[in-house]
Amino acid sequence: MFDTALSTNDLIFLAKGAGMTLIVTAISVFFGTILGIIFGVFRYQVGPWWAAPLTFVLDIFRSIPLLIQLVLANAFVTTVLGYRISGFAIACGVLSLYTAAYCAEIVRGGIEAVPQTLRRAARSLGMTWGQDMTSIVLPLATRVALPSWIGLALGVMKDSALVYIVQVVELLKSTQILITRLQEPLFLLMICGLFYFLISFPIARFGGYLEKRWSND
Amino acid sequence: MFNYTFRWNQALNSLPQMLEGALVTMEIAILSMVIGISIAILLTLFRLSRNPLLVGIAATWVEIARNTPALFQIYMVHFGLAGFGIHLSPYLSLLIGIAFNNAGYLTENFRGALKAIPDTQTRAARSLGMTPLQAFRNVIMPQMLRISFLPMTNQMVWAILMTSLGAVVAMNTDLYGVTSELNARTFRTFELFAIAAVIFYLITKVITLSARLLAARLFRY
Amino acid sequence: MKSALFTAGILAATAVAMPAQADKLDDIIASGTLRCAVVLDFPPMGSRDESNNPIGFDVDYCNDLAAALGVSAEIVETTFPERIPSLMSGRVDVAVASTSDTLERAKTVGFSIPYYAFENAVVAREGIEMASWEDMKGKTVGATAGTYEAIWLEGKVKEWGEGQFRPYQNQADVFLALSQGQLDATVATVEVSEANVKSGNFGGIKIVDKAPMVPDYVALITLREEYGLINYMNLFINQQVRTGRYAELYKKWVGEGEPADLTIPGVYR
Repeated sequence: MFDTALSTNDLIFLAKGAGMTLIVTAISVFFGTILGIIFGVFRYQVGPWWAAPLTFVLDIFRSIPLLIQLVLANAFVTTVLGYRISGFAIACGVLSLYTAAYCAEIVRGGIEAVPQTLRRAARSLGMTWGQDMTSIVLPLATRVALPSWIGLALGVMKDSALVYIVQVVELLKSTQILITRLQEPLFLLMICGLFYFLISFPIARFGGYLEKRWSND
Repeated sequence: MFNYTFRWNQALNSLPQMLEGALVTMEIAILSMVIGISIAILLTLFRLSRNPLLVGIAATWVEIARNTPALFQIYMVHFGLAGFGIHLSPYLSLLIGIAFNNAGYLTENFRGALKAIPDTQTRAARSLGMTPLQAFRNVIMPQMLRISFLPMTNQMVWAILMTSLGAVVAMNTDLYGVTSELNARTFRTFELFAIAAVIFYLITKVITLSARLLAARLFRY
Repeated sequence: MKSALFTAGILAATAVAMPAQADKLDDIIASGTLRCAVVLDFPPMGSRDESNNPIGFDVDYCNDLAAALGVSAEIVETTFPERIPSLMSGRVDVAVASTSDTLERAKTVGFSIPYYAFENAVVAREGIEMASWEDMKGKTVGATAGTYEAIWLEGKVKEWGEGQFRPYQNQADVFLALSQGQLDATVATVEVSEANVKSGNFGGIKIVDKAPMVPDYVALITLREEYGLINYMNLFINQQVRTGRYAELYKKWVGEGEPADLTIPGVYR
């Protein structure tokens, strides 16, 4: 059907790029979520006043283009400080903090959605703060936060297309490399776009389904 | 401590050029939002129309915009459309790419907002003799835009951040384009991009603050 | 005993005062790997074969340099705008990436003597009426961001005061844009232009004229302060010409004919 010079080798090459996209995403979402939960709980616990410095720093990650964050982090660590570090590590580090900045907001929103009265009731039953957080807040806040978190994880996967700037060969970059050699831009870009779509679409649908199901009761 | 010699004055000399670039960035962001909101309203109407073709167009648009990277979308507008003989300048490619993305996300936001507006309002408006379009325009749409004001502000910030992707379509007059071209010539990477980061931060703050002021004025009642 | 202690003291003091100063040349030999930045969308200097492995003049040149140093070569792909940043960030040791030896760049990196010299050609898409390079006036032109050609071309467009200049991120995008009709013309090295016209990968493009620039001398680059390595590279380039390897690589990648003269009459170095 398609008259193309694309060989098995090239497909493996593309698959490697796709694998890199998924690895960078997985690492960043994992660490970003852990950090995001810590930051989110901290912000909620200490109140807006004491959390102001953290809020300010996290806000920076949401107000500057990711591309510039990557370029700056790379230039700062490798050129200014003179550390030898791979582009992969820079990409994962920046994307983790970027994820954490958004995740902290989601976590805070989730905790705030749990009715205060419910938590007071739990505490008056003799639960400790830890028990309250794990048995009352965690399950209820997760319901509110999970759909947004899924959206965030997918967002990070799509944004990971930008890590080419620190010389990480991910899916979009490997597509460009093949375009250079094979000169079939439309066909190759379609494959690349389709890959993102096939991963993102079902998960996004699942997130939407969860949101719908959980908001009914 | 550092082995690196900062050359801030060399980078600061380029500040006027970068500020001009910042204006282009804001212009693209604002235009892309105006176009994006208009298209999103149209797509929302498509969605409500129950015509399978129109519903299909709206659904395809939203899913492609939301499930592929913005960088990919902008690249496709420039190089993909050219495969069909449609040639767009870097400026237009970037503007249309961002507007496409905006429209997809905003349509989804509008869908959420519509759920919060009771059906009875449409029915009441219809029974007053309004056509479906009149009911949408006069009763539903104002509320829909009001409810989704916060997501719209967020999308506006996204639009500003997305202008940085224009470099892949040879855009060189916006803030990122100007900065990366200066960088390609002088290699003061850290200094130049640090300045660009500060400008980007200020732009997003100005936009979110003015959106908040606007909201306070618009939604006083 | 006392003198032994004294000697030990002196030794300790000098060890503190003068930490072993291994330079990059030592580091490369010690690590056993030479990391070269090469641009791989720039045939015949750098490209990829069917298995997507790096090939080309610059790739072979890097391999030769590594062999001379007695280490193995690692090719790190880079784009034109990224080659100096990747050097500055310590991700590569040298860039064998057809880097023109401009004075602006010499403020940041250290250049060897030229290892190749390009001439630049004006390439236009078919259907555009162009007889000479001056017909680019008023047209939409483009080149790879940050290259010698791009800086020259952008300057010309500003001087003419009409037409448009577009800097694409890599050489492939420039030719793609040209063959799609997004650009009317570009300036690229004769070698690259001929390779791209001949390969047929980009339909509907033709070479119009030579660009009226002085020969584009390109050099190997490394960090500015690495004199040891720069000295070594200078001698290496000299040896490549002397042993006939330069002509051999030219024949292999560029074609028949005489490779460009790397000396400039009337001036030292």
